[in-house]
Amino acid sequence: MRWAKEIGTNLKRSGFMSLISAGTIAITVFMLGAYYIVQSGVTFLARHIESNVEVTAFLKNNTPQDKTDNIIMETKALAGVAEVRFVTKWDAFQEFIQDPEMKAVMDTFEGNPLPDSIVVRLDTYTREKIERISSFLREKDGVEEVQYGAGEIENLINIVNAVRFIAAAAGIIFIIASMLVVSNIINLTIYARKQDIYIFRMIGADESYIRMPFVAEGVIHGLFGGAAGWAALYGVVTVLIAQIRQETGLDLSVYHIFRPEYFSVRLLLYSVGAGIGLGFTGSLLSQLRMFK
Amino acid sequence: MIKFNRVYKVFERDIQALSDISFEVKRGEFVFITGPSGAGKTTILNLLYREDLPTMGAIFVDSLDITHIGTGRLPAYRRGIGFVFQDFKLLFDRPLFENIALPLVVRGENMEYVKKLAQTMIDRIGLTGKESLNPWHLSGGEKQKAAIARALITSPPILLADEPTGNLDDYSSWEIMEMLTEANRAGTTVIIASHNKEIMSKLGHRIIRLDKGKVVSDAMG
Repeated sequence: MRWAKEIGTNLKRSGFMSLISAGTIAITVFMLGAYYIVQSGVTFLARHIESNVEVTAFLKNNTPQDKTDNIIMETKALAGVAEVRFVTKWDAFQEFIQDPEMKAVMDTFEGNPLPDSIVVRLDTYTREKIERISSFLREKDGVEEVQYGAGEIENLINIVNAVRFIAAAAGIIFIIASMLVVSNIINLTIYARKQDIYIFRMIGADESYIRMPFVAEGVIHGLFGGAAGWAALYGVVTVLIAQIRQETGLDLSVYHIFRPEYFSVRLLLYSVGAGIGLGFTGSLLSQLRMFK
Repeated sequence: MIKFNRVYKVFERDIQALSDISFEVKRGEFVFITGPSGAGKTTILNLLYREDLPTMGAIFVDSLDITHIGTGRLPAYRRGIGFVFQDFKLLFDRPLFENIALPLVVRGENMEYVKKLAQTMIDRIGLTGKESLNPWHLSGGEKQKAAIARALITSPPILLADEPTGNLDDYSSWEIMEMLTEANRAGTTVIIASHNKEIMSKLGHRIIRLDKGKVVSDAMG
């Protein structure tokens, strides 16, 4: 690389500005990494919520078994139904008393106050599907009441989508800001080397010899910035996971993006790749402006 | 070898730098271009070096109309020209050796060859022992010698010099002129923009005199 020396000269001259450029990329990569984790987390959460949406039809006391079986059969035949199960009042009671607080409530009753129920799990969540299945069950003879948490589910999904949108918008703003910072810092380097560039042209240096060091400078800022952003993210998330485990007993490392092989290796590659991409694009923007 | 054919150059605000300039320079000639400040001397050199384009007219170098060279071919064209400035235009953040070797480095020449040739040039200009010095530590004359060595290291067929003795004392000026004369004797076509009447008259080469952008005389000095 005959222009390797020029890269060194550029980095030496930019000095502190190079640190600012790499630092900006590090912050951006950190934010993008955090966005990626939040995005993965909320997507996982949304899928988990949607795949566990259930409609519960509580049956009137003393509903004959053949009538119950008919309702179950007809419900199974409906589009969008993944699973239908019959829960006896005794099964429900056993489940309730697992929770000490609910057991205390149950103890105030004489006998078992809970009804038999039919629980329907949907294949995927849509408001239309849940309402259609609920209406079907509500109209059946022997069904006392139908419950589903559509409002709560939709609120939760809306929150998840809002989080995704805000994170994406912040990510885009950081990407643009980062590219502009890199571009402006390389502009300053080019400006500082204006005389050198003139001399290079005078002695017949081709444009690639003149420009490549500035491209490489952006890439080097990106490389170090990306790695530093990853290191910061790794540190923060590791501390957070440990803190959450200690406070709540919840082990987030079961979730794939927090597993060491994924988090340490793949995210490092992504971070360095993103950093290099930002540095390279910032440098190209600068050259478009400065080498017209 | 070099031919200016009815060349005009008008800068912004209608400043007429050159007006209907025509002349020819043969291969191996030594030519001075002179005239008062603003006469158009530097403009002619800038046009030859393709730093600038004429407003009208054609400039031929070896029958190639250089006004039509695309930007992609400019580096190759400029490699055939050595350029020496009044203010030296050395890179002050690297040693003398690297300054002189630079034209070979940017061409990607073999480093052994570069080192050998650069050292030969340094020895020839009498700056042996100062290879690692930064240009800040050199005298004006030494800087100009280094600039000429850089211009000549690739043995270009043409050497352009814009007031090469403008910042130098008499002794250094004559040393520089001796170097340029030697390059000319070796076959390089030398064109110098100069004010120095004493040097021009003593050397007795061809002198193209400009005034207000026009050739007013073209004769041997």
